[in-house]
Amino acid sequence: MTRAFSWLFSSVAFLSVLLLAGVFFRASLPVWQQEGAAYVTGHQWFYRQHQFGALSLIYGSIVVSLIALLLAGPLGLGTALFVAEYLPRRLRLAVKLPIELLAGIPSVVYGLLGILLLRDWVYDVFERFEPLSGDTLLTAGILLAIMLLPTVVSLCEDAFRSIPSAQRRAARALGLTRAETIWCVCLPQAWQGITSAFLLALGRALGETVAVFLVVGRQDNNLPTNWLSPSPWLQAGQTLTSKLGSSETNIAYGDPLHWSAIMGLGVLLLLLTGGITLLGTLRRNRNA
Amino acid sequence: MRKFKDLLLGLLLFTCTLVSLGIAGGLFWAITRRGLPALSVSFFTEQIRLVGADGGIFWNLIGTVILLASAFCFTTPCAVGIALLERVWIRSPKWRQFLRLALYTMNGLPSIVFGIFGFIVFVKWCGWGKSWLAGGIVLAMSMLPTVTIVLIERIAGVPAKYVEAAAALGLSKSQVVWAVLLRQSWGGIIAGSLLGLARAAGETAPIMFTATIFAGATFPRAIAESPVLTLPYHIFILAQDSFAPAVGTKLWGAALVLLGLVFSLSLAALPSRLRLHEESNV
Repeated sequence: MTRAFSWLFSSVAFLSVLLLAGVFFRASLPVWQQEGAAYVTGHQWFYRQHQFGALSLIYGSIVVSLIALLLAGPLGLGTALFVAEYLPRRLRLAVKLPIELLAGIPSVVYGLLGILLLRDWVYDVFERFEPLSGDTLLTAGILLAIMLLPTVVSLCEDAFRSIPSAQRRAARALGLTRAETIWCVCLPQAWQGITSAFLLALGRALGETVAVFLVVGRQDNNLPTNWLSPSPWLQAGQTLTSKLGSSETNIAYGDPLHWSAIMGLGVLLLLLTGGITLLGTLRRNRNA
Repeated sequence: MRKFKDLLLGLLLFTCTLVSLGIAGGLFWAITRRGLPALSVSFFTEQIRLVGADGGIFWNLIGTVILLASAFCFTTPCAVGIALLERVWIRSPKWRQFLRLALYTMNGLPSIVFGIFGFIVFVKWCGWGKSWLAGGIVLAMSMLPTVTIVLIERIAGVPAKYVEAAAALGLSKSQVVWAVLLRQSWGGIIAGSLLGLARAAGETAPIMFTATIFAGATFPRAIAESPVLTLPYHIFILAQDSFAPAVGTKLWGAALVLLGLVFSLSLAALPSRLRLHEESNV
């Protein structure tokens, strides 16, 4: 009886997730048939003309997440190292608690902070690059970096804590300084854990919707002419999630092709976040 | 030179920590300072007026509570089922690991995907329109992995000798489940659910297409076409539209209330989480 119910409820849960994936893949078929590979490589998204190229959305998602990771990664890694290797046990909680609390702030509140504070700050600081407004890819990236910080810190700290302290003592006994111990023992030993933390954070960044939606500017078809220069970061853009969260999702439902283009974005998002999270989790498990 | 490098790295890491702490402190200070002036008794008991510039957030709170309660009802049986499957019924380690991997991957799926799934299935296929029940189910899906993972940890923490003693007394497997495993780990169900609810309470993306509108809803009396007002969506809409100072204060007030709700849910889970580490598995 108990066993039957366990199986029943578990299969309800897992079947609904399978149904979710199935619905997304099935509904996105028409756009793949019409656009083919151009759906991913095309940069024109005009739904009235039935042109669906998602490249600028993919670009937006990747740029925003990379900016976030570039900022939150080193900062979080540094904090985690300091907490795990320098702080005495009693102080650890005092430092970790406020940072862990950051993870609890709902993303809509982050969005609000972004709109009312960060946006103006970005506009003022980068004024000489003449951004059109404070709603830029960079703003979204900085905001996301703050949201990722607790994930990076706590996963990296776990990785450092799982190193046996005998190894640290051995290194110190050989005459290595604290910095050398970190460099030669802690970082190599925790490397898998660190990369896993970064991957999991990246997965979270790619999937974050509401906070990004509020500050990214949501301008379609904005691809840079010069890919290497960072100045397009100061332009408004669009990400996969901000597109999915916009009112276009409501409008699209009546039109099969448009709807399947929106669903296709969902498929891309599922593949990206699912794949990266899976990779990160696998690395983490191997480490443990 | 080596000493100098040592010092330099220490300083660098210390600065990183200071910056992180500064960010955390700055954010909480920013929200609290702006939100506190809006809080009063009437802010909690009045309904929204003048597009958010006046009145309070009574129905938004009620709506959020309705969504959380229904999400809780859907998640709990599924979470218990999956956790028991992982701990008791599946014996092959390979499948166990597969199950855990599936849970962790599900945990990484973006919540907007669940929202659009709910939009297709409930709003369109079932023809419910925006409905509190759809929101509850969608939130349940997005919080399920969190709840299950906590519960699995908790059941794994039940000392093996308890199970052995129960088996020696001749209890069948399902009797062991009810009398030992679930009895010993019900704190985990509570803690996991509270953590999941804390996450769900702040979610906007899953409910914006499925369950919530900005104004004009009170207590839902049916399933179809009965949306609720919610706090996150309230903040989401006001943040985009309005720059009147009066709205600003109310907006920060709503953000502070939402933050308070989320933190009190996760704080309530803390005692039970801490006990987990005291019990050793001998």
